Amino acid sequence: MKEEMLEKMARAIVDGQRAEAESLAREAVMNRLDLLEVIERGFVPGIQKVGELWEKGDYFLPELISSAESMKAAMAVIQPELRRAKIDAPSKGKAVIGTVEGDIHDIGKNLVASMLQAHGFEVHDLGADIKLGKFIDKAQETRADFICLSALLTTTMLGQKRLIEMLKASGLREQFMVLVGGAPVTQSWADDIEADGYAENALAAVSLAVRLMERKRAKK
Amino acid sequence: MACTIRVPSHRKTILAQKGEVLAEVLRRAGIPLVLFCNQRGLCGKCSVEVIKGKLPAPAEKEKFLWKQKILSRNQRLSCLFEIKSDLEIGVPFRSTVQEVPILPALKRTSVSIYPAVKKYVLGIPRPRISSPESLFELLLDGLGEKHLKVSPSLLGELASMLEKAKYKVVVIIHRDKEIIDLRPATEDSPIFGLAIDAGTTTLVMELVELDSGKTVDSQAAFNAQASRGADVISRITYALSGQEKAGELRTLVLNTLNRMISQVLERNNILPSSVYEIVVSGNTVMNHLLLGVPVHSLAVAPYQAVFSRLPYFSAQETGFAVHPEARVYVSPNVKSFVGGDIASGLLASRLDRLKGNFLFIDLGTNGEIALKTGKSLIATSTAAGPAFEGMNISCGMPALAGAVYKVEDVSGKLKLRALAGKPARGVCGTGLIDLIAIFLKRGEISPRGAILNREKRLHIAKGISLTQDDIRQVQLACAAIKTGIRLMLKRNGLREAELDGVYIAGAFGNYLNIENSMRIGLLPSIEERRVIFVGNSSLAGARQLLVSLKERERVESLIKKVSYRTLASDPLFQDHFVKALELKSWP
Repeated sequence: MKEEMLEKMARAIVDGQRAEAESLAREAVMNRLDLLEVIERGFVPGIQKVGELWEKGDYFLPELISSAESMKAAMAVIQPELRRAKIDAPSKGKAVIGTVEGDIHDIGKNLVASMLQAHGFEVHDLGADIKLGKFIDKAQETRADFICLSALLTTTMLGQKRLIEMLKASGLREQFMVLVGGAPVTQSWADDIEADGYAENALAAVSLAVRLMERKRAKK
Repeated sequence: MACTIRVPSHRKTILAQKGEVLAEVLRRAGIPLVLFCNQRGLCGKCSVEVIKGKLPAPAEKEKFLWKQKILSRNQRLSCLFEIKSDLEIGVPFRSTVQEVPILPALKRTSVSIYPAVKKYVLGIPRPRISSPESLFELLLDGLGEKHLKVSPSLLGELASMLEKAKYKVVVIIHRDKEIIDLRPATEDSPIFGLAIDAGTTTLVMELVELDSGKTVDSQAAFNAQASRGADVISRITYALSGQEKAGELRTLVLNTLNRMISQVLERNNILPSSVYEIVVSGNTVMNHLLLGVPVHSLAVAPYQAVFSRLPYFSAQETGFAVHPEARVYVSPNVKSFVGGDIASGLLASRLDRLKGNFLFIDLGTNGEIALKTGKSLIATSTAAGPAFEGMNISCGMPALAGAVYKVEDVSGKLKLRALAGKPARGVCGTGLIDLIAIFLKRGEISPRGAILNREKRLHIAKGISLTQDDIRQVQLACAAIKTGIRLMLKRNGLREAELDGVYIAGAFGNYLNIENSMRIGLLPSIEERRVIFVGNSSLAGARQLLVSLKERERVESLIKKVSYRTLASDPLFQDHFVKALELKSWP
C-alpha cells in the first residue's frame, strides 16, 4: 500500500500533475505517514527522474516547469506539517535569486528558482531588473548561502561582475556563494569574474548548489 | 615565443605568438571565419581541423559537439583554441563567411515621384556694366527663387565656374531649399540616389535614377559586422567592449556599403559624384552604429534610443563615398528596438491605410510585430534568436547557394530543394520550418518537441541531420514569435479569427510555406489567402522614401502614431511563452 503510494507520488511529479501531487501529499498527512520518508522516497525520486528525462532530451521547458510546480505544491502541503511536528527537514540551503538591473527577462531565473525550491532549498526570488544592492541586503537579511544572478543580455551580464566587486569592497565576499547564469553566460565568464559557480540550465544549477552546500558543510 | 600556423586550405602560413587565440590569428590573416557568437564558444561555427600539431584538451562545448557528431575528434573551435605550438590546420568551407547572398523577390509598390533632389539646367544672362547684378542673384532669378541656401565654398567657386561654363550651368537643389552642387552644363548627366536596407545580417541597396524614380540596378552583401556578433545585442556588447570598438563596427559596415556602391556604380558607368541622395533604412542599433552614435542607452532597460527622426546629413559627414554634398536621410526609428526598418516596412505595406485588423511580422533575428487595429498601431520586438537565419542549428546556414529552403514529403520520402540548384549542404530557416512540420506530421517528433527515435537524430540527407537541440532551438524561436502575436492580440481584445490579414516581411519571402508555418504554430491559423508576403519591406520603404518627399512626411507622422509595448515585462509572458513551446497549430 505505502510503496504503491510512494510510486504514485513520483509519477505525479514526473507527469507534472499538480493537483494529483497535492492530493497525494494531503493523503500522506491525513494517514500520518512518515513525512520525511514521503519526501525522500516519494516525491524526490520523481523530480530526479525528471532530471534524467531532461538530460536525455525527452523533456523540455514546459515539462520541467509543470514538474517543478507539482513538486512545490506537494511541498507546500508537507512543510507546514513538519514545522508543526517540530521535525527538522534538513534544509538544503538558502538562496536569494533575481535578474540583474537593466534586464527585464526572467523565465530562466524563474525556472532555476522553482527547481531549487522543488529540491528543498529556501528561495527568495527578488524578481527582474533588480538593483545590485538589493541582492546584498536581502542576502544579509536572510543569511543566505547563495546569491544567484541571472542575466539574459550580453550587455547586462556586467552586473554579475559588479556585484562580486561590491561584495569584495564591503568585505562580504566570503559570506555568500555567488552563482551566475543566463543565455549569454559561460563558465569562462564565471571564472573571469570569480563567481563561485555557473550552470547551463536549471537542473545543473540544482546539482551545483547541492555540491557547493556539501563542500560548505564539510568545511565547517 | 613565435609559432608557425600553416593553413594549406587557404594557402597561408601565419606567425603567431604563443598564447594567442587561433580565431584571432586566422582572422588577422584575412581568413573570413564565421564568428557569430563573438568568440564565446557558443555557436560552434568556427571549427578547424588539426592536421599536424598538438591537439588541446577539449572544452565542455567541444565534447558536446562531438556527441552531436558535429565535430570530429581532431576538430576544435578556433575561438577557444589557445596556440601552444606549431600547427598545421584546415579551415573547412562551412567555417567561413560566404559572399553574395541570394535575394528574395522584392515586391514593388508604386508611389508618385516627388524627388527631394532636383536638377536644373540654366542659361544665365552674362553680366553687363549697365546693370551689374550679383552672380548669385542672377542665378536665383534664373531659378525663379527668392531664397536658397548655399555653402561658402560653392559661392567661392561661382564666378570662375560661370565663366568657364560660358554661363550655362547645371544646378542641383535639395528640397527646394538649398543649392548643393553647381557644374558646367557640358558636364550634365542623369542624377542618382541610393536606397539602402542596412540589415543586421545582410546589406542591400538599389540604385535609383532620381528624375524617373526607376531602379537601375541593385547590390547585396553580407554585413561585415556579423563577424563581431550575430544579433544586435552582441553588436552592442562588442561596441561597448572597448574604446575603439564602436568605431570599428562603423568602419566595417561603411566599408562594405562603400564597396557595394562602387561596384554598382562601376557596373552602370556612373560616377560617384552623380549620386546626390541616400536613404538608409535600418534597425535602431544599425542606425546608431552607422552614424557613430553611442549605443549604451540601448544596452540596458528601458532600452532607449538616442534618436528617432533625424535632420539631413551630408555624405561627407556620414562617410559615404558619393558626392560629398549628397544628402543622407535615415528612416526614423519608431521606439527602442523597433527601428527605421520597421517604419519603412509599415510605410511600404500601407498598413495604416487598411481597413480592419492586420498584423505585420518581420521575421528576423529580432522578430518585430506590429498590429493595426481600428485607428491604432502597436509595435513590439521579440528576441527570436538567429535560428531562423540558420544559426544555432547544427546543419543550419543562411539562405545561400546550397541551402535547403523547401522540403516536401513525397510518399514518405523527403524531397529537398536547395538554393541556386546546388547540392544541399545545409538548411536555412524556411527549410527548417518545413522539416519540423513534416516530422511532426509523421509522428517522428512529439508535439512537445522530443525526437521519438533512439538515436535522437533525424536524418535529412548525406551529412545533414537534425539533433534534439536543433528542434529545441526552433521551438524557442517559434514560441517567441507566437507569444508576441498572442499577447498583441490579447492585449487589444482580438482573436486570431478577427484578423483580416497577416503581412510577412523579411528574408523568408515567398519561400515560407504557410501551411507548415501554421502547423507548427508560427503563424495563427487563418485563411491562407490572408497571409501576404511583402519581401524585403525595409528596402521597399527605403526606395519609396528616396523617390518621394511626401513619403518622408508620411513615415514621420506614421511613427508618431505607433505605440510601443514591451513583451518581456508582461505578467502573462512566461505563461504564454511556455505554452507556445508546444509545436501545434493555433489556438
